[in-house]
Amino acid sequence: MSPLVEQVLQEGRIFQLTLLLLMAALTYIAYSYGKRGKVWEIRPLEGLEATWEGIGRAAEMGRPIMVLTGISGLSNAQTIAGLTVLGEVAQRAAEIGVATHTTSTSTQVIAFSEGVIKSAYDAAGKSELYKPGEYVRWFGGGQFVYAVGAAGYILETKPAMIVFMGYFLFDVIVTMETASRVGAQIITGTLSALPESSVFSDYLLIGEELYAASAMISKDTQVIATIAGQDWIKLILLIIVVVGVILKLAGSDAIIKLLEV
Amino acid sequence: MSATLTYIRTYLVRVILIIAALSGLVTWYFVSPQADAIANELQIWNTAAASWTLFVGIITIFSHYIRSVMKRERYWPYQLYAMILMVLWCIMGVWSGLYSNLYQTAYLSTKITLHIAILGQLIFFFISGVYRTFRIKTARTLLYAFLALIMVVLNAPWTQWIFPNAEKVTFWLLNNVGMSGERTLAITGGIGGVVLSIRILLGLEKGALRATEEI
Repeated sequence: MSPLVEQVLQEGRIFQLTLLLLMAALTYIAYSYGKRGKVWEIRPLEGLEATWEGIGRAAEMGRPIMVLTGISGLSNAQTIAGLTVLGEVAQRAAEIGVATHTTSTSTQVIAFSEGVIKSAYDAAGKSELYKPGEYVRWFGGGQFVYAVGAAGYILETKPAMIVFMGYFLFDVIVTMETASRVGAQIITGTLSALPESSVFSDYLLIGEELYAASAMISKDTQVIATIAGQDWIKLILLIIVVVGVILKLAGSDAIIKLLEV
Repeated sequence: MSATLTYIRTYLVRVILIIAALSGLVTWYFVSPQADAIANELQIWNTAAASWTLFVGIITIFSHYIRSVMKRERYWPYQLYAMILMVLWCIMGVWSGLYSNLYQTAYLSTKITLHIAILGQLIFFFISGVYRTFRIKTARTLLYAFLALIMVVLNAPWTQWIFPNAEKVTFWLLNNVGMSGERTLAITGGIGGVVLSIRILLGLEKGALRATEEI
């Protein structure tokens, strides 16, 4: 690398930067196609379909629902995806008079969730049903403090359905088992704690399905188009993986060196 | 909501996001003391915002618990106990310092006891969850239960005592058979996260207080 480039760019991050720019470009191209009217067919996500059915089930049972966004802050993409789902679920629930409860470890997420639920009631045209401080509770910043608090919250409110969308760890064992004991339907979307979640959940969104869900609920063709862009990027990375394996078998570490940070 | 407030909520949030995201990206990829300074400043603001929301969180807890205690609702003695503890910890923390023996002993004595209770509960809860999941009803659950059984047996101390090489089999399964799944999750999850961030920057996500809907 030339000394001039070394002065401007952090060492070993050129390929990463190129990949990031490529991702942004491909996402934008897909978005532009969507804007021009191209529609991509995406298979229905079973977990997402079950969520909408679960809201109706809660209305029939006369019980509330709960959406948990996990134990991380606003800097985590999984939490952001969870908050998007919270907004949509809360709106649909508010439309038919079902209350949506939530809690989290992060105080920022708590403050944000309160705003999201309030906006959901406004968007549903049911502002009069919104009760400040009723739907969002905070039990503490620790993982298990939250887990026990959330479990108590579940026992108290007895939700008909609990949607776990966000970042979770072992806390799901406490919260999901409690959810099972009150007869709640469990729908999970996460990248972490998958083995534990798969044991307890009725429906599971695996890996990127969490992010796809947050795009699909918007039903906006332009947003859904970005999922297609995501697939193009995966194809490129798949090619890099295959080329890397072939080169490694041939005795070259070129791809490994390229990907090193 | 007034149009001006909606406008501010929509665009102010987006501008802050763009500045924060760009400063983070620039410091990661480029050598720039100016970007470093902006990123550090934003980090301080982030800490300040988090501290403020922590304060709001404590007020929320107290308002809920005080109401509950006054109405003698279910579990009110626990809520009263929690409030007394929080007040005591605050006094001790301010009076003797966060890292003093007094504060640490008082805090950890309570916390560790509760932690042990939770860890014990975890085992019971996990066993009951596993019992429900691994009941063999179909070929799929048979395969699932079989794979789980392999991992449990190979990880059990007595198996490793009788067959010291069992550990190697466990790691082989995790590092080879399980690796492709792990890699898939890491790659797709990573890409999904980046694309979600781009969607937020483009203003496509509804997440930011859903304000984009109303404008």
